[in-house]
Amino acid sequence: MLKYIFRRILVFIPTLFIISLLAFVISVNAPGDPVNALFSGSEGGGNNNNGQNERVEREKAALRHRLGLDLPLFYVTVSSLASPDTLYKVFDRAEYASLDRLINRYGNWNEISVWSKSVKALRKAVRAVPLPDTSTVSLTEAENALTQRNTCEEIIASLQFSDDPVQISSRLDELKKLTAGGFWTTAFRNSLGESATAFERMRGNTTVWKTYVPTLNFYGNNQYHRWIFGDGHWLTGKGAVDTEGIIRGDFGISYGTKQSVTRTIKRAVPWSVLMTLLSVILAYLISIPVGVYAAAHKDSLFDRFSSVLLFMLYSMPSFFMGTLLLLLFANPEMFDLFPANGVKPVEGYPEGAGFFEKFRISLPYLILPLITYTYSSLAFLSRQMRVSTLEIVHQDFIRTARAKGLSERAVIWKHGVRNALLPIVTVFSNIFPAAIGGSVVLEVLFGIPGMGREIFDAIRTQDYPMIVSVFTLSGFMTLVGYLVADILYAVVDPRITYSSK
Amino acid sequence: MLRRKKPDTSPTEQEFNFRTHAWQQFRKNKPALWSLRVMILLVVIALLAPVLANEKPLYMKYGGETFWPAFTSAKNYTVTDPKTGQTSSLELELADWKRMDMESVVWAPIVWSPGRTDEANMRYVGPGDPQRFIDAKGDTLFMPGRFKHFLGTNSLGEDVAAGLIHGARVSLTIGLLSMSIAALLGLLLGSLAGYFGNERLRTTRARLWLTVFGVFPAWFYAFSVRSFALRDALNESGSSFLVQLVLSLVLFAGVIMAFNYLGKWLGRGAFFGKIVNVPVDAYISRFIEILNSTPTLILILSVSALAKEPSIIYVLVIIGLTSWTGIARFTRAEFLKIRNMDYIKAAEAMGFKEGRIMLRHALINGMAPSLVSIAFGIASAIIAESSLSFLGIGIPPDIVTWGKMLSQGQAHYQSWWLVVFPGIAIFITVTVYNLIGDGLRDAFDPKLKR
Repeated sequence: MLKYIFRRILVFIPTLFIISLLAFVISVNAPGDPVNALFSGSEGGGNNNNGQNERVEREKAALRHRLGLDLPLFYVTVSSLASPDTLYKVFDRAEYASLDRLINRYGNWNEISVWSKSVKALRKAVRAVPLPDTSTVSLTEAENALTQRNTCEEIIASLQFSDDPVQISSRLDELKKLTAGGFWTTAFRNSLGESATAFERMRGNTTVWKTYVPTLNFYGNNQYHRWIFGDGHWLTGKGAVDTEGIIRGDFGISYGTKQSVTRTIKRAVPWSVLMTLLSVILAYLISIPVGVYAAAHKDSLFDRFSSVLLFMLYSMPSFFMGTLLLLLFANPEMFDLFPANGVKPVEGYPEGAGFFEKFRISLPYLILPLITYTYSSLAFLSRQMRVSTLEIVHQDFIRTARAKGLSERAVIWKHGVRNALLPIVTVFSNIFPAAIGGSVVLEVLFGIPGMGREIFDAIRTQDYPMIVSVFTLSGFMTLVGYLVADILYAVVDPRITYSSK
Repeated sequence: MLRRKKPDTSPTEQEFNFRTHAWQQFRKNKPALWSLRVMILLVVIALLAPVLANEKPLYMKYGGETFWPAFTSAKNYTVTDPKTGQTSSLELELADWKRMDMESVVWAPIVWSPGRTDEANMRYVGPGDPQRFIDAKGDTLFMPGRFKHFLGTNSLGEDVAAGLIHGARVSLTIGLLSMSIAALLGLLLGSLAGYFGNERLRTTRARLWLTVFGVFPAWFYAFSVRSFALRDALNESGSSFLVQLVLSLVLFAGVIMAFNYLGKWLGRGAFFGKIVNVPVDAYISRFIEILNSTPTLILILSVSALAKEPSIIYVLVIIGLTSWTGIARFTRAEFLKIRNMDYIKAAEAMGFKEGRIMLRHALINGMAPSLVSIAFGIASAIIAESSLSFLGIGIPPDIVTWGKMLSQGQAHYQSWWLVVFPGIAIFITVTVYNLIGDGLRDAFDPKLKR
């Protein structure tokens, strides 16, 4: 048995790896820039305020480093011979995209990087060009000079994100014409000349064949590794500065609350666990007697009636049931018996209330959600209980028990039920993922501040660290559920052994 | 098909036909048979939705001319006003049909289109409430019976009955299309796992390794090199993206095939030519386990959050891609049984190719039990879709669905008709597919009869 569990846990590793990979792919492809989402510094500020712009850039770069976004994505990446293995270091998504396109078009990284640097230098140079002073020229002339410089800046900015040679060369010509005379300095004209030659060289010496040769790059330190193991030692976690990795329970920072995701999860999980546990216990308490009784009195009125009713419940979507309950019992126009939303009074619990006191206060809030949570597993369980009890009732050991003269009740409850518990175990193993994932629909419907509600909010606000964390955690908990179910199967039914395998 | 004459009551041993037998069993199950009828009715309603609920007349005579507004693809008509004799252009999408003075007209049974606002009856008008109608002169009247909102309206004055009828389309489309994807995947992978098992697929070492390795260059040439072509096509239009995607997929398959042939050619030496087992069954079973461990709803939610614009296509593709595991398991079990049967042995002895045996002999006979899984799958796909639209995630805002209508009712409890009618529609559809699934299970496997 121990050996089986051990082997089972070993098998988990590839499964977990693939789940984490899937989560990672989702987070990498998430729209928007995480740095912008998290950056809390003052946005905007005038364009002319170079000092502040540079400060913002520096802060953003620091944040990028803290989040590990300046690392390559994965251990192995497939790229073409043309693209350098350090392209990931370009932070700016737009700049990255334009460089990538240029590489795809020309395949000569050296020339492309010279061109890209020259455009950046040109951008600096255009800002450095001194505007004519109003003491020497007229006001309109000064204004004209300013608009001229702004036009040049715009053209240069568009050069940075363009990969169309025709467009680029026409824009370069335009720049040359615009800056031929007037207040433009020779320093700027020199930069412009350099850019033009860089562009010609890039267009002249193409090595397109390189884009068709695949290469594999290996990176020891990458974003995925960092996400899993943190930025310290991968096993012990020593030396971690910014993140300890999900393996040690550090799920990063939420975009929405700008707090640690782990903290949010810790706050939300108890509610989901409470709802799930209570509903499973309730479902057991009702479904086992109902299923067994129906099986013991097969084809009786009770059997038929409960079968039809449970089948209907089974087909009922939970959000319909929940809305109906709210419509009936939390509606001032019908029966205003229960609160429609939340888990506790608006003003909170009274001071110094103990756990049971809190529970008593919350109880009216929990009744409708609990019914909704319970009924579907209730229906499933009773149907399953009935079937498995029916199978058991026809077996030899039951006949033996009857022959011994035991009462019908003792036969069924003492000998039969224990053997019909397998479906119970199946439902029990579903607790684990449900506790961590919550029920999105029901928690939203009833306003329960659990994990389902949390992930719904995360999706609405595109809070990817949260989404990815819940995804990974609930995948993991599903695996745990499978394992627990396997062990319990063997406990419940002695005929199931794993050792012979 | 439903009223087919009963076959002879007791077929002899030779005449025993599994499918006829299963159909007979299924017919004995009254709830399942009725469900099948209701399902057909639902499909018919979904197909006829534009005829059943449409604000445009099905047929009309106006200014001496006849028109078929509900059945045309034209954007506008040139009409002559019968009173003034002036010709004007009638925009089909904007026209105020109900106030036009037509010589004769045939309306759809429900004279409202889904998602179309009725200004006179905004703010949740119930089926029993007085409904208002503004006639051609601008006077407000009580709603004449003809144009009544039979099941009420929502906050925007959209007709609930029209939404229900058109919502059936969305539900059935998602249910059927996603299960087609799932059935394709499930049958393919399940039959591969069941037919080959862990020992039957044997190949040379070179061929195996080269095929596996081929994934890297295949990925590179199909998706990495062509990434800009794909991205540009996506920005251009859906159809050109589809063309580019198919091209990429063909390239992908082509490169892997090329490596496979290279392996065939290389696999002659002593080392490279060593015959190895490919444990297909183990791989596929593990894959199923992985897929079962991923939280589907959260996966759908995250992927639809990734998409720039919500679309039904994403929802149905993800449901399809994640729900094939049940079908695969059924098919696998059936194939494990079938592959040891005499007729497969015979086919092998006759030297048929494996692909042909699998497709023409095994699959045809092993497909039936996966129908059970497909029927249950449709039910859960419909629940998944309506949960998503209930949450308001993944389904575009301009499409009316049952779940969305129900969530409007949840926001406004006085309007019970917004909860009860769509809810019952979902409930009936789901029940019908569950009952059909139950019936099929009993018919195919009498041991499981409950």
